Amino acid sequence: MTGPKLVSILRQGSWLIASIHTALDDTQMLMFQHDLIDQIGRYRSRGVVIDVAALDVLDSFGARTLRTIAEMARLRGAETVIVGIQPDVAFAMVSLGMDTGTVPTALDLEEGLEYLGRPGGARSARHGRAAG
Amino acid sequence: MRDEPRPHDDVAALIPMLRRVIGARVDDAATADDLVQETLVRVLAAAARVEPGMLEPYAIVTARNVVASLWREQDRHRRNRHRVVDLDLPDSPDQDLLASEERTAVAEALARLTDRERATLLAHEVSGQDTRSLAAEQGSTAGAVAAQLNRTRARLRVEYLLVRENVEPPTERCRPVLLALSGGDRRRQREVDAGRHLLECDVCAQLSQPLMERAQPRDDEVRIPISTDADIVAARQAARELAARLGFARTELTIIATAVSEVTRNIVRFAGTGEVVVELVDRPRRGVQVTARDTGPGIPDVEKALADGYSTYNGLGLGLPGARRLMDEFAVVSEMGRGTTVTMTKWCGER
Repeated sequence: MTGPKLVSILRQGSWLIASIHTALDDTQMLMFQHDLIDQIGRYRSRGVVIDVAALDVLDSFGARTLRTIAEMARLRGAETVIVGIQPDVAFAMVSLGMDTGTVPTALDLEEGLEYLGRPGGARSARHGRAAG
Repeated sequence: MRDEPRPHDDVAALIPMLRRVIGARVDDAATADDLVQETLVRVLAAAARVEPGMLEPYAIVTARNVVASLWREQDRHRRNRHRVVDLDLPDSPDQDLLASEERTAVAEALARLTDRERATLLAHEVSGQDTRSLAAEQGSTAGAVAAQLNRTRARLRVEYLLVRENVEPPTERCRPVLLALSGGDRRRQREVDAGRHLLECDVCAQLSQPLMERAQPRDDEVRIPISTDADIVAARQAARELAARLGFARTELTIIATAVSEVTRNIVRFAGTGEVVVELVDRPRRGVQVTARDTGPGIPDVEKALADGYSTYNGLGLGLPGARRLMDEFAVVSEMGRGTTVTMTKWCGER
């Protein structure tokens, strides 16, 4: 793909931080899903933060894709948290009759990382396994 | 007592020296010769006034001045050269032919008008008769005549295009649509559903290009052809941008963009291609109106499609019902085999 990167997926220890930098069309969204799931396996990640602050809208397709990513990540042993849903996007989602299902959300990246690091969260799960 | 030819002799004696002085400054031999001649003429004319013995310095100064004038002249030419460049391209060989075809097409188009239309148009455009006196002749008003002239011009444009492209409109709906487009009459365009017809009829889609280009570019309307995923993003961003001009709050802009995203996705998923038109309306209130139309298979059961949870592509089934919830006005017209048109409006300000 040419031009500036649409998304970036950074590895931070056993976590992945995936940031969407611009409005994505459906194909790009699916590509993002594919890349992210791929990297969860490659880096044996236990937690994923998806930052959607730059998305202009989260319509039914966008929301469904995020839910799919979270469910696929869960099946691969990683916990997902979605951060950065803008207030207007949140309002539109509610009006549309749509939510992120059981996928946990947090206000921003910091809160998202804190969520993953909570007792019983992704990190402690890894520690638990390391200990056991 | 002086003998007459003396100054001339003196002057003639200066020639070799002048050649040297000027030759040192001017490369071109012919030009140098000209300048020597010119200097001699000036020196001769002044010889009587110049003190004896001063003729040589006078000649040298004159020569330098003449050279300096030449340089100034050349400099001015150089500076102004671009002004005399002839930018008109030479006539191309086929120009005559094209011009004659053009004349034939116009004549043929004129012949297709009714006698009265033609007479009025020619009286106004060719003879320069004003609308008021035309109205007096016809027992009508100036405004009515002007409106009639506008309609005639619109017809003339359509007929001209048909003659030039040498096509007959394939359906009986074509001509009214083209006329509405040519006249730029938006109400009429809606009445004949011009947008849908252009999606369906390739002939009209092509013919309408010059007619649309002619129409005053409207800055309160955007038309986005839809065929790929990326167009969904383009459509919702265009809608957001246009709506932002009405002073919608950010939340409402996102709502509009989300609704556009949903209906546009339906075009890509089910019809393949179509178009989204976003326009600002001010009646009955200010708002933004989105029309998404396609020529796809149509929706078998609109009621069912508008019910929550109905999904044919494994979505959330929120497409149409969701968009309906997001917007203030929402209408779906679908005809099996002909396509679907979704019209939705968001009013600005109080709800």
